[in-house]
Amino acid sequence: MTPRYTELQLDALRELANIASGNAATSLAQMLGREVELNVPRVLALPLADAVEACGSPEDSTTSVVIPLEGDVTGVVLLLIEPQGAEALCALLGVDAWDEIGESALREIGNILGTSCLNALASMTGLHLEPRPPHLTTDMLGAIVSSLALTTTASAELVLVLDSELTVADEPCSISFVLLPTEGGVSDLLAPLGLAEAA
Amino acid sequence: MGTVRMGEIEVSKRTGEELVARGLGSCIGLALIDRSSGVAGMAHIVLPESGGHAPSSEPGKFADTGVPALIAQMQQAGAVPRRLDAVMAGGARMFALGEMDIGARNAEAVKAGLTRAGLRLRAADTGGNRGRTLRLTVGEFEVTVKEAGGEPVTLLDAGQGSAFKRQVARA
Repeated sequence: MTPRYTELQLDALRELANIASGNAATSLAQMLGREVELNVPRVLALPLADAVEACGSPEDSTTSVVIPLEGDVTGVVLLLIEPQGAEALCALLGVDAWDEIGESALREIGNILGTSCLNALASMTGLHLEPRPPHLTTDMLGAIVSSLALTTTASAELVLVLDSELTVADEPCSISFVLLPTEGGVSDLLAPLGLAEAA
Repeated sequence: MGTVRMGEIEVSKRTGEELVARGLGSCIGLALIDRSSGVAGMAHIVLPESGGHAPSSEPGKFADTGVPALIAQMQQAGAVPRRLDAVMAGGARMFALGEMDIGARNAEAVKAGLTRAGLRLRAADTGGNRGRTLRLTVGEFEVTVKEAGGEPVTLLDAGQGSAFKRQVARA
């Protein structure tokens, strides 16, 4: 059965995403010592192919940091950065993006953003959420997003994408901050808000 | 036209047209070619099994329904099944997450589907942890695969067809 979400549920998820990515943006700004702008998050419940394409052109080379979630809600937090943006981020931290130190810096950024996002979600919902160690890869966007989305949905029918854009002021650097909850994870996020019942 | 999206099947006999499955991760791009009738087809397969209830609108999403559906559509366009050359790419494990290696299961399921249909797998590039794009030019019937940031590699050439098979070892 395809899960469907009501407008009210999608609004609630958008609000969760807004606060979670806001917290992540604050952490990033503190880490970099720069202003970070945040747009209004998108909440998309789409068939798999459309969900992947909503994140960008499938063949584009993209640096990704993946933080798997465990605890009361499972899923992944995904940071998508253009390779140029990854270089800019590392430059702000005084390291080269494409060596071991750069990779570990990008993982650390993932860690900090993922953790601050989860803390925000946990305090709003009362759920216990735990980030696992981040994975880093630079590869085709479609390959990254489709493979991750498939780990969140058994039927691969409808994928829920919560994403917002974090832009570092005065740098050619924006980070797509994407939350991919598993099918069960969506209801777990909505339940503490009294919105678990599907329409 | 040209791009074969996730779960889709495209069949063409227009010389010069490209069929492309972009950004394959754990998905499989399957190309079938009948040189004699000039018909080519591609499926962008997402999961190994439909579990018996594939929506009829999306047979291409699953290996067990996608392989026969691609063959049937090509037959309608004039291809002869026993003449089909098969090439596949994808089935990577992009991230070491979870117990399931969907990519490897996809590759196995597509191979099994080809065997059931009595088709030859002429070339394959599967496994590993890199994304790929599979590209086929109708008429020339050259099939290439490209990894992220890499150069295209010919899996099946325009002439007799080189047989290139690689199962990338796990990192």
